[in-house]
Amino acid sequence: MTTFAAPTEPLVRIRGLTTVLNGKTIFDALDLDIPRGKVTAIMGPSGTGKTTLLKHVTGQMRGDAGQVLVDGQDVPELSREKLFALREKIGYLFQNSALLTDFDVFENVAFPLRQHTQLPEVLIRNIVLTKLQAVGLRGAAGLMPAELSGGMARRVALARAIVFDPMLILYDEPFVGLDPIALSQVLKLIRTLNETLGITSVLVAHELEAIKQVADHVYLIANGKVVAQGDPKTIAEDGSPWTRQFFGGAIDGPVPFQYPADDYAQALGLAGARA
Amino acid sequence: MSQRNSYAVGTGLFIVLGFAALAYLATQTTSVANTHQGASYTVQAHFANIGQLKERAPVKIAGVRVGQVRTIALDPKREAADVTLAIDERYSHIPDDSVATIFTSGLLGDQYVGIEYGNSKKDLAEGATLARTKPAQQLEEMLGKFFGAGGVADNLGGSYVLKARFSNVGALSVGAPVKMAGVPIGSVMAVHADPVKLDAEVELAIDRKYDQIPDDSAAAVFTSGLIGTQYVAVQPGGSPEFLKNGDEMVLTQSAMQLEDLIGKFLVNGSPTEKKEAPAESPAGKH
Amino acid sequence: MSAQPRRNVVTNALAQIGEAGLFLLTLLAAVPRSLRHVRETVRQLWFVGAMSLTIIMVCGLFVGMVLGLQLYYVLSIFGGTAASGTVVAIAIYRELGPVVTALLFAGRAGTSVTAEIGLMRATDQLAAMEMMAVDPIAYVAVPRYLAGLIAMPLLCAVFCALGIFGGHLVGVTWLGIDNGTFWSNMTATVDVWKDVVNGILVKSLAFGAVVSLIAVYQGYTTPPTSEGVAYATTRTVVASSIAILALDFVLTAFLM
Ligand SMILES: Nc1ncnc2c1ncn2[C@@H]1O[C@H](COP(=O)(O)OP(=O)(O)OP(=O)(O)O)[C@@H](O)[C@H]1O
Ligand SMILES: [Mg+2]
Repeated sequence: MTTFAAPTEPLVRIRGLTTVLNGKTIFDALDLDIPRGKVTAIMGPSGTGKTTLLKHVTGQMRGDAGQVLVDGQDVPELSREKLFALREKIGYLFQNSALLTDFDVFENVAFPLRQHTQLPEVLIRNIVLTKLQAVGLRGAAGLMPAELSGGMARRVALARAIVFDPMLILYDEPFVGLDPIALSQVLKLIRTLNETLGITSVLVAHELEAIKQVADHVYLIANGKVVAQGDPKTIAEDGSPWTRQFFGGAIDGPVPFQYPADDYAQALGLAGARA
Repeated sequence: MSQRNSYAVGTGLFIVLGFAALAYLATQTTSVANTHQGASYTVQAHFANIGQLKERAPVKIAGVRVGQVRTIALDPKREAADVTLAIDERYSHIPDDSVATIFTSGLLGDQYVGIEYGNSKKDLAEGATLARTKPAQQLEEMLGKFFGAGGVADNLGGSYVLKARFSNVGALSVGAPVKMAGVPIGSVMAVHADPVKLDAEVELAIDRKYDQIPDDSAAAVFTSGLIGTQYVAVQPGGSPEFLKNGDEMVLTQSAMQLEDLIGKFLVNGSPTEKKEAPAESPAGKH
Repeated sequence: MSAQPRRNVVTNALAQIGEAGLFLLTLLAAVPRSLRHVRETVRQLWFVGAMSLTIIMVCGLFVGMVLGLQLYYVLSIFGGTAASGTVVAIAIYRELGPVVTALLFAGRAGTSVTAEIGLMRATDQLAAMEMMAVDPIAYVAVPRYLAGLIAMPLLCAVFCALGIFGGHLVGVTWLGIDNGTFWSNMTATVDVWKDVVNGILVKSLAFGAVVSLIAVYQGYTTPPTSEGVAYATTRTVVASSIAILALDFVLTAFLM
């Protein structure tokens, strides 16, 4: 069922993706490639649809038009079984962790293993503890999700996303809520997973400094399109108005800060004054 | 892992408990409990009247269940009911001159066969016949006993008779209690229609203890509650003379019909007034 | 949830019933897939079944005791206290057992199932399962549904047993009805099929199917907000209670 695409072929290939949610165009004929074995960062202002893009890649959402090819398979066209088979090979770190509150940390990380494998208990234990050690939370294995801090929950979710050593890991804002030590540990982890296991990684993040340390390639998305891309170390200096504004943090520029709305003055009842 | 197992154990306990409860209810509280399982022997008994006795009804000795009724058939030659009783093998030492009686458990309960031991040295054998039997008692007799409050109806020597005439006795039946101030003092002995006066003549058997009822006392047919049975209430008068055996109570109030009651209630009096008048006894003066 | 077109109460209720029916089909279709999650079903059976035992037992005991007391007062008017065993058993098996158990179950287990599934959706846990290639219908919804279905007759049987015990306690032990009469009248009148099987098994299975469906459906379709979860929980109790009593009437008309 997995069609082995040539290694040079990008793992994820998005072509002409168009999505309209509640009358708002989130993606407007978006084209984007995620190369195999690389760490790709996706950046963009809040609310442009970065999370939505990851949901398209994993088949949780469908666009109105266009193609989303993952490992050669057209995701929106997959049957449920094929989609689930594909998802087993994808790790996903939720923006809000989404740990299963019924289970403790250990069982949360072990959950995908238990669901999809018949591994002996000893092996499950070893794998889970290794992953927890990697995120620095082996000692917290017995805690319930409600007893974790936001940053700890993030790291448990990260351990869960990588427990299967998948072919593709999608991280939705992995650096939020991490202190500098945990941050560099997570950065190292992402790098190691990529280098030693060749896992393709997609990072959605806002921290350019962190991205510079791990990512090979970065996309900047705004207004439903890729507005800039390139090496993270140099993208901020490429001179386009998009990057200048976004990385410079200027409020005025081509990137909209406001969620689309009707005229401000009119909404405040000052329409008459202006007219 | 141990956490998972404890759920499984607890859940298992829960399921076992649930099925145990179900099995208990299904086998111990239903007629399944009455279907016999162990070895038994059968004996015959002939009754003049079996009342409501049914197959599988219990057979009891001293209140203890010893078996059940297996078959009931009519013996056409003798106009009697042929009843086969299956008695538990354990109870094999029943004297062959024992008496079989059909009893009713409580007033509303089902009927069963009770066996009272005789004196014979010989035991009942398989296929033997219980020669001495007592038939089922009729409900009317039972009612008489029950409402007679201490067997007044039975013990006629201890009571005296009063008469009363009602234009309508409603559902008053023989054996119904006679009460004074709510206390049973006797029972209705007979109710019959008078072909000449076209009303109902009721004979009341009153306990001798209550022989000082004033002769201007009134008798009324009342109903205990809305759906209860009817009874005769005696409302004492003020006369110094007392009622004697065979006297008639002249002041009476007939049974109210449910329709009248409802009419009164709904229409607030007027149409009922008219009906009330003939309801008074001819000699009534109130 | 997107703003729904305004509908009146009746069409709204009909639409909910229709959607719940379709949801039931989804659930049933997922039953084979959920067979691999037997452990989860067992775990849910623990939560909805075993954890409801205490309240079911206490309530069953008191219902039986009240019944014993009331029947004693009423039947002694007619001198028929001997029938109290029969009436306790029949009233409990046919009506009070299945109905009260189902109402208690809706309040105790139904609400917690609704709230739990609703919060799982609100905190993206269902989406997380989807992402881990675990079907939340098969892993979350079906085990809870099956657990409710299995637990209800068992809880009802326990309720009935405690009810009989309570009736016996008051009638025989305290008020002095004859023990033998109490049982023999009961065993003479109560029928395994008409009373025990129709009441405890058929009725409570039907109630279990309906209450669990409502609870799971409400949880699964609630808007992922705290307000949405609160409303869904309330709706579970209201809809379950109405459904139980209405269905009880229909079943009684057909079965008895
Ligand atoms: N289920 C939905 N229905 C309608 N609109 C939605 C839905 N989910 C997201 N949106 C809209 O899609 C847009 C993109 O949302 P998304 O969560 O992808 O943003 P994001 O780029 O991840 O932002 P952030 O950096 O803040 O996480 C937002 O404008 C949001 O309002
Ligand atoms: Mg996001």
